[in-house]
Amino acid sequence: MPIEKAYIILSIALFLIGLLGVIIRKNLITVLVSTEIMLNGVNLSLVAVDSWLGKVDGQVFSLFVITVAAAEVAVGLGLVVAIFRLKGYEGSSELTHLRD
Amino acid sequence: MEWIILGVLGFWLVASALGAVFVRNPVHSILFFLSSVIAISALFLSLGAELLAGLQLIIYAVAIVVFYVLVITTIPWEKVKRFEGIYKKELLFSLPVLSVSLLIMGYMVYRGELAQPVNLVKDNVRDLGKTLFTSYLFPFEVASVILLVAMIGAILLGRKED
Repeated sequence: MPIEKAYIILSIALFLIGLLGVIIRKNLITVLVSTEIMLNGVNLSLVAVDSWLGKVDGQVFSLFVITVAAAEVAVGLGLVVAIFRLKGYEGSSELTHLRD
Repeated sequence: MEWIILGVLGFWLVASALGAVFVRNPVHSILFFLSSVIAISALFLSLGAELLAGLQLIIYAVAIVVFYVLVITTIPWEKVKRFEGIYKKELLFSLPVLSVSLLIMGYMVYRGELAQPVNLVKDNVRDLGKTLFTSYLFPFEVASVILLVAMIGAILLGRKED
């Protein structure tokens, strides 16, 4: 088995750990941290396949993923702070306006 | 030798990611995330992607983590105390599903075939820059527009309502 397959399995595990964090965490900020873990898992698999193929296209995509992650953090944390200041919510179980 | 490096770094990475998901305090969770970012940067170095390893350290470990900590300090701490930790019932249901899906996907990757290698990159940074500024010039410009729009959106969301 080539070592890149082990890297891909590790990246799948990292993505699923991030998904578990999105499902089970109560605090909205730690939910955002878990999405960052998911994006890092995707980056790891892109770079691993890139190293097997001997090209650089996957690393370019990984660069774009890092860019989108930075934009997502800026807008997401702004949303969390705005929700907290306007409504006083800090837990994901309190955001039930669309359900009610 | 490669497998030893992968084993040590992979154990470090998975342990710190699990810590970031399961620890109670949000600041401790972000510190575990910082540890996992450093492990990923070391994995990038061992894969031969030097530019991405440096960018990972600069962007994630400096910019994003510091931004998270600054935002946490603006939120009053005693009101957040009710929402620390995890949902127990959701953990009970989601952990078996995600473990089984990890086993299935890992088996598929283990049995499947990778594509054939095309060519070998000698100078990572030079090839990456050349590809970024020739084939991917338009997505690069679009990424700059995305960053600009995100900055304007963050300013709009952060201002006080009149």
